[in-house]
Amino acid sequence: MRRPPTFVNATARVFDVAVGQLLWSRRTMFMVLAVTAPILIAVILRASDAMGVSALRVNGQQVGGPVMFGGMIWLLYLRFIVPVLGTFYGTALIADEVEDRTITYLFTRPIPRGAIVVGKYLAYLVCTILVVLPSVTAVYLLITPIGGGGIGETFPMLLIDLGILALGLAVYGAVFAFVGARVPRPLVAGLVLVFGWEQIALLVPGYLRRFTVAYYLQALVPHAMPQDDAVSAIESLFSQAPPAQSSVLWLLGILVVALCLAAHTLQTREYVLEQ
Amino acid sequence: MTAPTTAMAASATAPGADVSSVVVTDHLSKWYGQVIGLNDVSLTIGRGVTGLLGPNGAGKSTLLKLITGQLKASKGSLKVLDQPVWGNPAIYLRMGVCPEQDAFYDRMTGLEWLMALLRLQGYHDGEARETAFAALEQVDLKEAADKRIGAYSKGMRQRVKLAQAIAHQPEFLVLDEPLSGMDPLARRKTIRLLRGWAADGRSIVVSSHVLHEIEALTSNILLMHNGRVLAEGNVHQIRDLIDEHPHTVRMRAKDPRRLARELVSSADVLSVRFEADLVFVETAKPDMFYARLTEMAANGSSGEIFEVTSPDDNLQAVFEYLVKS
Repeated sequence: MRRPPTFVNATARVFDVAVGQLLWSRRTMFMVLAVTAPILIAVILRASDAMGVSALRVNGQQVGGPVMFGGMIWLLYLRFIVPVLGTFYGTALIADEVEDRTITYLFTRPIPRGAIVVGKYLAYLVCTILVVLPSVTAVYLLITPIGGGGIGETFPMLLIDLGILALGLAVYGAVFAFVGARVPRPLVAGLVLVFGWEQIALLVPGYLRRFTVAYYLQALVPHAMPQDDAVSAIESLFSQAPPAQSSVLWLLGILVVALCLAAHTLQTREYVLEQ
Repeated sequence: MTAPTTAMAASATAPGADVSSVVVTDHLSKWYGQVIGLNDVSLTIGRGVTGLLGPNGAGKSTLLKLITGQLKASKGSLKVLDQPVWGNPAIYLRMGVCPEQDAFYDRMTGLEWLMALLRLQGYHDGEARETAFAALEQVDLKEAADKRIGAYSKGMRQRVKLAQAIAHQPEFLVLDEPLSGMDPLARRKTIRLLRGWAADGRSIVVSSHVLHEIEALTSNILLMHNGRVLAEGNVHQIRDLIDEHPHTVRMRAKDPRRLARELVSSADVLSVRFEADLVFVETAKPDMFYARLTEMAANGSSGEIFEVTSPDDNLQAVFEYLVKS
């Protein structure tokens, strides 16, 4: 008799199917818009600079390109685009199959259900990384020269930023893959988690913020922020962040636990009941 | 046929390690919260073709979803091919499942979809392509292999769904309403295909709420009602009962008036009504009607018939009568 695919083989085959599904999903247009917006902002900032209009000043001083780029990475990408993409795509990985009632075809194959989660998750990761990282690179190339910033000297920082964003996409994706596998209306739950829980928990002093992904991600952001009262408030968040190494470990831990929980949920849940 | 009873089917076989059986259940129950989907069912389904017949809500789909490992039993035990099925993916090497729902990856072509599913069965790329083509050929979809499933007609979608179930040549097939929505010619071909499949020594459990469909495949049926097995055995007695009740057939045709003209002249048709491109026919003799319909579709005398379905409530009256008696 034919042997069933191994876990790795099954994961790779689910990945193949899922990449196509993700690229053609209803959410693709949203992802394109989400990553195009920062490029448009960068174009406007660069054009303003070229016309001699300083786009951003703090205490009368023009903010340099590298600092602007750092602000965009933190405020736009890490705090908005990455969690939102994680929410939209992560929650859809399993929930769309359940909603479309196509999950039966996957569940009636000789593969472990965990391979379905991992295969789909990897497809999500590849798709989002392939879209987000080029967008960041484009923004970097447009913004860094503003105020005389040199691309060559700040390039290592770009690589670190790309790594942080990839890690952010990976962790948020895993968390929301679990939410999508566990919760009936996962998109709503995901948005509440990102724009409700994470925002509130980060502002409350104490241990609450340790139960957010953003707390560990912010510790990895290497940019110096411009000096200003409002910006100092943002900076204070950074100063309370844990060391980078332990943040990476925490993030990897969250990723692994969330994926294991998603796989366990898929293994034990009767999705037919929800149809 | 075993006499109808409101209690557990009198003929249900005691469970055991019977190698000639494909499904063995022992006091199997499934609850959906407070609602009972399947109620204390102990039965043995032997090799060959077995039809599950019952009106909407009888518990057919619940039983099939338990058999195919999509649901976990609330109580009791279930073995398929002498193995537990819940949490046992290896069993799908030996089992093919054709679910009821009309759900697909619409952007994929029929060939791509079958290949993807065959690769999940453990087939390598080249092998998957060859096997997928063979399965599509079996259901007469080879010409449409490179067409997107989203562009398939209802009947084609039913056939591609059947193709994914048979492609890996399983020894046990579970089919939930496989003929629903097919045109008369596709029905005839599919019935032939499934009969041939069974003749090769493979087993099939097929559910339907249309006796005519089941009867075309097997005389061995399980009657289900309200989550219980009412009776099991030969089809003929219930057939007589069903023939006494009017049977409604819904058809979607290119020229509904022409189809109606052809149909109305026959004594087996009690009434005909229209709704857009749909024709609803009430017949007292469904066997005769379906046979004539297939002939008309084959010789083209009624124009093109796209889809034939039978509403769920046809069996309801008969089953209520059986339960009361």
